[in-house]
Amino acid sequence: MRKMQCSVVALALVLVAVAVALAGCGSSNQSKTSTRTLNVPADYPTIQAAVDAARPGDLVLVAKGVYHEAVDVSADATKHTNPHDFTIRGVDRNDVILDGQFKLENGIRVLGAAGIVVENMTARNYLSNGFFWTGATRYRGSYLTAYRNGDYGIYGVDSYTGQFDHDYASGSPDAGFYIGACFRCDAVITNVVSEYNGLGYSGTNSGGDLYIVNSEFAYNRAGVVPNSGSYELCYPSRETVVAGNLVHDNNYTKGGGISASLLAQGNGILLAGAVKGLVQHNRIYNHTRAGIALVPFPEADANDVPPPSSAWGEPCSAHHQPGSGVPASQCQKIAIIGPGCVVLWNPMDNKVENNTITASGLVDMGEATIDLTKSGVTTEKLDNCYSGNTYTTSSPTNIEALAPCAGQPTATDWSKNPLDLVSLMTDTPSAPPKTAYRNTPVPAAQQNMPDATTAGAPVFSRPMTVDVAQITTPAKPA
Amino acid sequence: MTPGRRARVTRAAAALVVIAAGVVGSVALFGYTRDAKASAGPAAVLVPGPVGPPPRRPDGRPAVPARFTGPQGAVGQFVAKCLYSHSGSYDPIVSPRRPGHSHRHDFYGAIDTNASSTAQTLAEQDSTCDKPGDDAAYWQPTLYDHGVAVVPLEAHAYYRAAPGVNPADLKPFPFGLVLIAGNPVAVRPQVGDAAGWTCGVRTKLDTAPPACDQTAPLHLVLTFPDCWDGVHTDTPGHRAQATYSQHGTCPSTQPVHIPQLTLTVTFPIWGLGHDLRLSSGSIYSAHGDFLNAWNPAALAREIDHCLRNKVMCDVASDRERMPPFFTQ
Repeated sequence: MRKMQCSVVALALVLVAVAVALAGCGSSNQSKTSTRTLNVPADYPTIQAAVDAARPGDLVLVAKGVYHEAVDVSADATKHTNPHDFTIRGVDRNDVILDGQFKLENGIRVLGAAGIVVENMTARNYLSNGFFWTGATRYRGSYLTAYRNGDYGIYGVDSYTGQFDHDYASGSPDAGFYIGACFRCDAVITNVVSEYNGLGYSGTNSGGDLYIVNSEFAYNRAGVVPNSGSYELCYPSRETVVAGNLVHDNNYTKGGGISASLLAQGNGILLAGAVKGLVQHNRIYNHTRAGIALVPFPEADANDVPPPSSAWGEPCSAHHQPGSGVPASQCQKIAIIGPGCVVLWNPMDNKVENNTITASGLVDMGEATIDLTKSGVTTEKLDNCYSGNTYTTSSPTNIEALAPCAGQPTATDWSKNPLDLVSLMTDTPSAPPKTAYRNTPVPAAQQNMPDATTAGAPVFSRPMTVDVAQITTPAKPA
Repeated sequence: MTPGRRARVTRAAAALVVIAAGVVGSVALFGYTRDAKASAGPAAVLVPGPVGPPPRRPDGRPAVPARFTGPQGAVGQFVAKCLYSHSGSYDPIVSPRRPGHSHRHDFYGAIDTNASSTAQTLAEQDSTCDKPGDDAAYWQPTLYDHGVAVVPLEAHAYYRAAPGVNPADLKPFPFGLVLIAGNPVAVRPQVGDAAGWTCGVRTKLDTAPPACDQTAPLHLVLTFPDCWDGVHTDTPGHRAQATYSQHGTCPSTQPVHIPQLTLTVTFPIWGLGHDLRLSSGSIYSAHGDFLNAWNPAALAREIDHCLRNKVMCDVASDRERMPPFFTQ
């Protein structure tokens, strides 16, 4: 359509002056969508050089090879660039490799740019992250492999309207996949595999049209962990949907692991201070602790206290900046387990439905809190609910009767088989060496995107629509 | 500070006054000039001599920093986490090439900061900072507890546009820039928040160390000047080249906006029963030094891409720290 407009304009101008027509069409093209392919290294020696030259609609197509680059996609006052709406793609996911050699920080870092799509390549051995979007909008990462990166594998923060699909992330001491500090995020993680990380998925203070679906989280220290804390804006985690995933064997101890992953070790799906989450139709098995647990996140050294439920719908920008930390009356020292003032982020108002949970060492499904500040919020008042799950054990016992998602409770005794949070939180594994992530398994070859060299590179406008009602529990792999 | 040290400092100050005229040329004669070959900015010239009084505003009132408080994410930032490197009784800014002529300092960043260090020598070293390109040196006077030197845990260097400053106006620090936060000879509580103490990440600073909990141990928070004169990397007294913005504006004498560097140093100090003092003297003498040896291209890139774009490039969090509960 845009091409046609340009042609019409050019034709009209030919009648006036040929030279003017050429100049006019050329300059108007600069701001419109082009469909060029910028080949690396044939046309541009580095990915960065091609990115700096890319215009909206372009495809930066990277040939097979190992690239020791830390690519920034960013408006740059020095280079007079303002990138948006283009695709960076490898011709072969397994043979187009960005390698940080444990010297460079991020494989590809997208800063504040809109519509940047990254596809079909690998990032490994970066000190921070494999693929990283910050302050971005309309972001997509597809058919990406990230492994042995020092913070996160595939990472979005303070970014909106995005999608991670068909990706693989392993060996990060923080999370393989992370989406944080957004509300409403408008983002989807689907058809990904996350292994051998500290956390398979983590999202701090994120949610709202945020879907983690139809994926596999296995062999991490902990599987899927939406969480809250006041060290970053936009607390708490709210309205995260975790559905249709295979979550298993998240008891890994050999790789890296930040402190939060040590605390979460051995759990499948852990809502750590998350509110209004939906966990359904996941298959969860082989965990040393819980299949699904709804627990408070104990934040030491907090900036703020959790906002009231009336503020759970506010956007990130609504958050005020507290001036002087947490009043002594709203945090608590816990003498029996050590000194320190702790703020508890409670898991509240979450729905857990139709999951299948087996082979849990401690309990298949459970929840608990500690009323540190005598606020009256005890476990039975968290307002979480459980229905239709296939499970054997729960904390408290008979949790679906105590807190059903529909209808009235048919049981009232919350005292049987409580989760012993104090023991769980104090009994954490010792911290691994900081470089342990560098020795995690090298992934097998991963599936390439279809037609990488010939497929178009359309502008990414929004993530796929997720119909949660259509998501079913995945079968257990053979 | 011992009486003897104070006397030496005074004599040094007197000597400096004598040679202060034509400072840059004089210093070059003494052999302290090192050009920043990687930088197109001014030559990285160190001007030896004691630290002068803290900066003042054009109206004569103390120039003090505006600080960010609360959770990260409200403004663009990049953060270097720098492990403790080493300690020594030397100061390459105040007493270059004179080891032993300084109170004891704890160093972060460049791994061999010593009495003879210049920005150029720092840039050639490895760094304890986790941010590639950050070869700068950061230091503060050693904290003593009951007479025993406290080994700090780590420092975080936050780089942001100061409150009220338009990030688009930021220029990189010139290679070799010297910045000082706080007053090393203060014997009474310092005015403003250039140097202060707190527990953990709490935002309100105290002029003396408060009693902290183990989960939020003692921190020294140093906020450096964010306005530069555009010419000198150092000046007699180490102060005149930079000052603090007020309400987002730099004075005409230091008109160039540079990032606001806030350095937080974590000490393994909590609970009661401490007897804390600083190697510089009174506990009120908290201060910190920054000698810029960042790779110029890396620094310019982070300022352009993180601060000017108003995005979080790095987040300091206790996700990396020890678990919040400690078994006894």
